[in-house]
Amino acid sequence: MRGPVWLLWPGLAYLAFFLWAPTALVVAVSFARRDAYGAVRWEWNADNYARMLDPLYLRIFAESAGLAALCTLICLAVGYPLAYYISIQDKQRQRRWLFAVMMPFWINFLVRTYGWILLLQNQGVVNTALRQLGWIERPLSLMYNPGAVLVGFVYTLLPFMILPIYVSLEQIDRKLFDAAADLGASPVRRFRHVTFPLTLPGTVAGCALVFVSALGLFVVSDLLGGSKTMLWSNLIQNQFLSARDWPFGAALSAAMMLFSAAVVFAGYRLARVRLGEGGIG
Amino acid sequence: MNPDARLRGLRLYAWAVVAFLYAPIALIVLYSFNASRFSAAWGGWTWKWYASLFRNDLLLEATRNSLMIAVANAFAATCLGTLAALGAHALKRRARAAARGVFYLPILVPDIVMGLSLLVLFSRLAIPLGKWTVLAAHVTFSLAYVYVLVAARLEARDPRLEEAAQDLGADRWRTFRHVTLPLLSPAVVAGALVSFTLSIDDFMITFFVSGPESTTLPLYVYGLVRRGISPEVSALSTLLVVLTAVLVALAERFRRRP
Amino acid sequence: MRIGRFHTAKHWRAFAAAGLIAAAALVGSAGCASKEKLYLYSWADNFDAGVLDEFERKFGVSVRYDTFSNNEELLAKIQAGGARYDLIQPSDYMVATMIRLGLLEKLDKNNIPNLKNVGKRFLNPVYDPNNDYSVIYTWGITGIAYNKKYVTDPIDSWQALWDPKYKGKLILLDDSREVLGMALKKLGYSNSTQNESELAAAYEELKKLLPNVLAFDTDNIKQKMASEEGWIALMWSGDAALAAQENPDIAFVVPKEGTTIWADNYAIPKGARHKALAESFINYMLEPEVSAKNYESIGYSNPNEKSYPLHSKEYRENRMIFPTDEELARTEWLVDVGEKLPLYDRYWTELKSGVK
Repeated sequence: MRGPVWLLWPGLAYLAFFLWAPTALVVAVSFARRDAYGAVRWEWNADNYARMLDPLYLRIFAESAGLAALCTLICLAVGYPLAYYISIQDKQRQRRWLFAVMMPFWINFLVRTYGWILLLQNQGVVNTALRQLGWIERPLSLMYNPGAVLVGFVYTLLPFMILPIYVSLEQIDRKLFDAAADLGASPVRRFRHVTFPLTLPGTVAGCALVFVSALGLFVVSDLLGGSKTMLWSNLIQNQFLSARDWPFGAALSAAMMLFSAAVVFAGYRLARVRLGEGGIG
Repeated sequence: MNPDARLRGLRLYAWAVVAFLYAPIALIVLYSFNASRFSAAWGGWTWKWYASLFRNDLLLEATRNSLMIAVANAFAATCLGTLAALGAHALKRRARAAARGVFYLPILVPDIVMGLSLLVLFSRLAIPLGKWTVLAAHVTFSLAYVYVLVAARLEARDPRLEEAAQDLGADRWRTFRHVTLPLLSPAVVAGALVSFTLSIDDFMITFFVSGPESTTLPLYVYGLVRRGISPEVSALSTLLVVLTAVLVALAERFRRRP
Repeated sequence: MRIGRFHTAKHWRAFAAAGLIAAAALVGSAGCASKEKLYLYSWADNFDAGVLDEFERKFGVSVRYDTFSNNEELLAKIQAGGARYDLIQPSDYMVATMIRLGLLEKLDKNNIPNLKNVGKRFLNPVYDPNNDYSVIYTWGITGIAYNKKYVTDPIDSWQALWDPKYKGKLILLDDSREVLGMALKKLGYSNSTQNESELAAAYEELKKLLPNVLAFDTDNIKQKMASEEGWIALMWSGDAALAAQENPDIAFVVPKEGTTIWADNYAIPKGARHKALAESFINYMLEPEVSAKNYESIGYSNPNEKSYPLHSKEYRENRMIFPTDEELARTEWLVDVGEKLPLYDRYWTELKSGVK
């Protein structure tokens, strides 16, 4: 017994109205050309897509996808235990924890990043503290490197992993755990065969959201990494702004969207295979 | 390891993660009292930024706009997204996957593409840019996140609970109101939280679809970046954190009464 | 069976109420002013607040000041149809591009008699000969800023940036035209060349510079220099002046090979609803007293010659605000490179993805 299907229509209609614009932009403009001053010249061609096959761009795609994947794994490792802990609290505490996890992200992104800069820069809190303690003489270079970028990514995207997993975890009936324990299962086996499969929908959703968001994030790399990497998202940004090459930008966007969609689809598919029938549709 | 030690370890871990999340925030709060405008060095304790914050009309207006849009967005996106997820759940597997594909689309589109294309859409339709266009844009991507969260919850739900309700004589509407919706509530709450957060922090999309008089907090702060983020903004952020904590505490006290 | 938080109708009603209130607030706040409004769109902190207040009082209008932080974002927004502003402030090459794309209104110079106050050097610039569409607001040049405590060698050439002593201590502007332009000038070429071999040579030079780079940054470069994260930088003169106020060890020099000169300008987008008021604003800002007050406050270079006697001695003698004529003779405007822009972007992409 499920809810009526027509509930789908308002949301679908809303999206249909507002989404056909970006979809059209990406599809149509990606097959156009750039004129001398950066306006769009409507001449059907597939050059923009051919251009993406250049090793320079392929390298950028690979690096961006790698960073997104690494970020997803770390978020999963860090976020799952926290989601689990929140889900075993009583109702009131759960609410408090959820708010506590989300609240830092109501502070403006730049302000938060500024906080990280205050922490990590040469004259920042961490370095000053370490020097006062006499553990180091010269300040550690904690910023403007790939490590800082990764920390920034994980920091920004952690809630998108925690929330979906929590949502899945929270509904697991405690009695299932008791049953498993009664049957003699160790905690590890219980996790592998009961908890994890039941939270697969939430885990997959979390990984999907984090991965896709990580691909689209460029500000973190610019601010904490000293803008020393050209990620896929930076590339797209540049095409629409400084290079004024909307067609190439649209093609890059189409490629990114197709790639993300493929990864997300594969993720959900994998989960379904793992769960067997009756799991995720 | 015995269960108690495990639990203690887990609690320690949870607090460590929270410390990680709040580390930069703590610094911002601290520096909102720093008399020195620019540098990292401590220039003495002061309340002046809090004072000048309330004289900064533009900052206050931007904050008001951001909060209004974020709340409205949370409401609208949560409704649309939840209903859509419920509706899609009634579909067969393939159709449901297709629906999921459509609802993932806003998440897949890069911000700048979304912003620019919506701007083109609005200007072609001669829709004036303002708070409503910003809200419309925010709802577009927020409802996708709500959908994903609620769908995740629905996927692993036990359908027998609803069957049980109906066996007991409840019609579809009552089943929906008293069984389905409460079961969904953590996902709905999470969706509302995510929508609020995404809206209050969005820059790129808002930049393109906003007009004069619909400046939001992120737009204001990004504009300031060149001059260095004023401690007024840090002061505002501190106030937001404190205010939210107070509101949440009050809400809890209310709930405990009956 | 676990019942969720929203298990009573009361909670759902509260939720709905919150949403409706927010929506009502949004509707209700749709402007209710009666005065004429001027919609100004510029960089942040680009005007002295007192000066804006006086304009409002004098003309009986209300000034609405919104900000952007990036020329290209401004262009994309105006190009995609977002012009609801009356007065915008694009930079030099952006004015030229906007003119070519037909995005600007022609100025009615009868409304701006004070245009004559602007120094001759700044009238009829190469990007808008005859000042048909723009009036200069502020200007500056790009040069080398360095911290005297750490950089003890005399600096007079762009080559200094390549010195291995500054490994990991160099900050470059996050701007493809500025960085490539700098390398081009160093090699003796034009900063807006369309010659592919010249551009290739500049790219090769810049590859060698990468190990020195701490960060690419346009927005926070002042703070990075003031807090001594970086010792030496490619920086704008106005920013260097502000950083030097924070940290007196910062010096600025215009290299002998020459450099880029830039300017922010007033312009009126096509379809602006209060064109005449915008022109009155430009005229008002060019009054000598108003001008002096404004630029003293914001710290950037004032092009209004008539106002120079009214400025403080400090301001007039600050060489970061007013470079010498000899230095100015070595400068060149950035010009739109037309079809070669994707090539510039390609080199920029290669540079950025080559840094580790």
